[in-house]
Amino acid sequence: MSVLRIARVASYFLALTAACLMPAPPASAQATSGPASFSPKRLWDGKTPDFRGIWQAQGTAYVNVEGHSGGKGVAASSSIVVDPPDGKIPYRSDALAKRDENYRARATADPALKCYQPGVPRATYLPSPLQILQSPGNFAIAYQENHSFRVFHPDDRPHFDAADWWMGDTRYRWDGDTLVADVAALTDQVWLDQAGNYHSTDFHVVERYRLTDADTIVYEARIEDPMVYSRPWTLRTNLKRVKARNARIIEDECLDDEHGVRHHISPYDRDNLLTGEAWREKNVASK
Amino acid sequence: MRAIRSKQLRLAIVVAVWAASISVAIESSFAQPSPAAANPEKTTLPRLPDGHPDLQGLWMKSNGGFQGLFIGSLDGTNFAAGGGRGPPAPQYEYLPQAAAEKAYRQKHSYEDPEGRCHLPGVPRSLDQPAGLYPVQIIQDESYVALLHEANHDVRIIPTDNSKHPRNYWAWDGDSRGRWEGDSFVVDVSNFNGRTWLDMQGNFVDENEHVIERFTLVDRDTILYEATVTDATVFLKPIQFRFTLKRVPAEQQILEYSCLEGERSRQHFTEEDGGNKQRAK
Repeated sequence: MSVLRIARVASYFLALTAACLMPAPPASAQATSGPASFSPKRLWDGKTPDFRGIWQAQGTAYVNVEGHSGGKGVAASSSIVVDPPDGKIPYRSDALAKRDENYRARATADPALKCYQPGVPRATYLPSPLQILQSPGNFAIAYQENHSFRVFHPDDRPHFDAADWWMGDTRYRWDGDTLVADVAALTDQVWLDQAGNYHSTDFHVVERYRLTDADTIVYEARIEDPMVYSRPWTLRTNLKRVKARNARIIEDECLDDEHGVRHHISPYDRDNLLTGEAWREKNVASK
Repeated sequence: MRAIRSKQLRLAIVVAVWAASISVAIESSFAQPSPAAANPEKTTLPRLPDGHPDLQGLWMKSNGGFQGLFIGSLDGTNFAAGGGRGPPAPQYEYLPQAAAEKAYRQKHSYEDPEGRCHLPGVPRSLDQPAGLYPVQIIQDESYVALLHEANHDVRIIPTDNSKHPRNYWAWDGDSRGRWEGDSFVVDVSNFNGRTWLDMQGNFVDENEHVIERFTLVDRDTILYEATVTDATVFLKPIQFRFTLKRVPAEQQILEYSCLEGERSRQHFTEEDGGNKQRAK
């Protein structure tokens, strides 16, 4: 570990201590929809809160978690960063330039455009839905985006962090009816949104999933990364249940175009269908 | 550090292609469990409250099916070797034009869409090389979800025997399940015609139709059977039959990144779609 790095880590912990001593964020930042006393439905063990279903983030934070103006058919969004109270990610002064560089190049540099797995927490507030799969003792999320998924493992064993993962390594526990997930070992090859907000491999996320009514999950991610941010910060957004009949996660796969660039294709698009005509004609011709 | 596993696995697949190309059909002396046979375990199978067998857990193909790979598993055990010889590989009988196409694809195996990180289709999502990629199953009364490590492929299969959609064409098709006694039976249709069945050029087109049966024969064994029909490709249905074994509890599913961590193109020549110069 270099001296520079030790200094960075030390300053980070100083900032962390300072953050702990600061007064609690204003009540507005803590507000969530629904009373805290809501008691969710239970799984068949009569105990575990039932998060099953298809869920979709509200709003357009996927464009920029710090908020953005509207345009190009996308509604404006306020920041989903609830701590610090100014709604800004607390970048280290030497880390901001890279974000700005990412932002300028975002039309082509966003890793999501290449059909890579989206990472955490970005997967949660994408414009595509997710499905929570659950049974007593099991919890997993299948994201429609690029058919990525996360299996949540109980936190009685340490992280499997011998490599960096695109979707991280997740360990969870229950805090009352709130699922608390510790996510580590994330690659630095993903972004947090389309605006180039980013992190390093020292990224560490603590997620909280809480049902505030039958159709709302309040999702919170506390984020720390001493290499990129001057202090931990928190984002929060609501997931709403997708209640349409027959709603389901559909297959989201990418295909190369004629220039070798991958694009998402829809299984509802007939152009995605490749009939056997081509090879049958070829083999008749070759006889 | 990044994508180490991915790199190793991609390399493993390259090895598998070689192995497959020189492998000979292996005759079976392995007695497969039969769901119809009297089964003393039957009464003690784990079950969900709805009475259906509990298929949940982490599972690994133990042997049989595609015979292209004989390398280690997560803990160093060679499942394929340790499990004895598997049942015979599926027997294909092609229509004449399709046979010519199969021969073409076998010679051009680098065109295998799975080699380009595409979803494998069915039954290939389960018929991965033995002992290599596990599948996590999560189940309730309304679905059986298969989370495959390979290609981070997900199938969330409803148990209500509902109808296939119209105007939907997918790499993995569309799966609709139902319980028949203690077997979970899945009808798979709506394929997009792009997938291969293995690395040796065996293939299907958009008319593929699959009936799968998942049968829990004892606490730690699922018998998997699939019948693949395709009237424009095959003369007769193709049968797949192999077992999935429960993976020891101390092991977990890992992440498979392919496109995201792909390094195998460096092993292919430019002519074959990779980055390497062809040897003069």
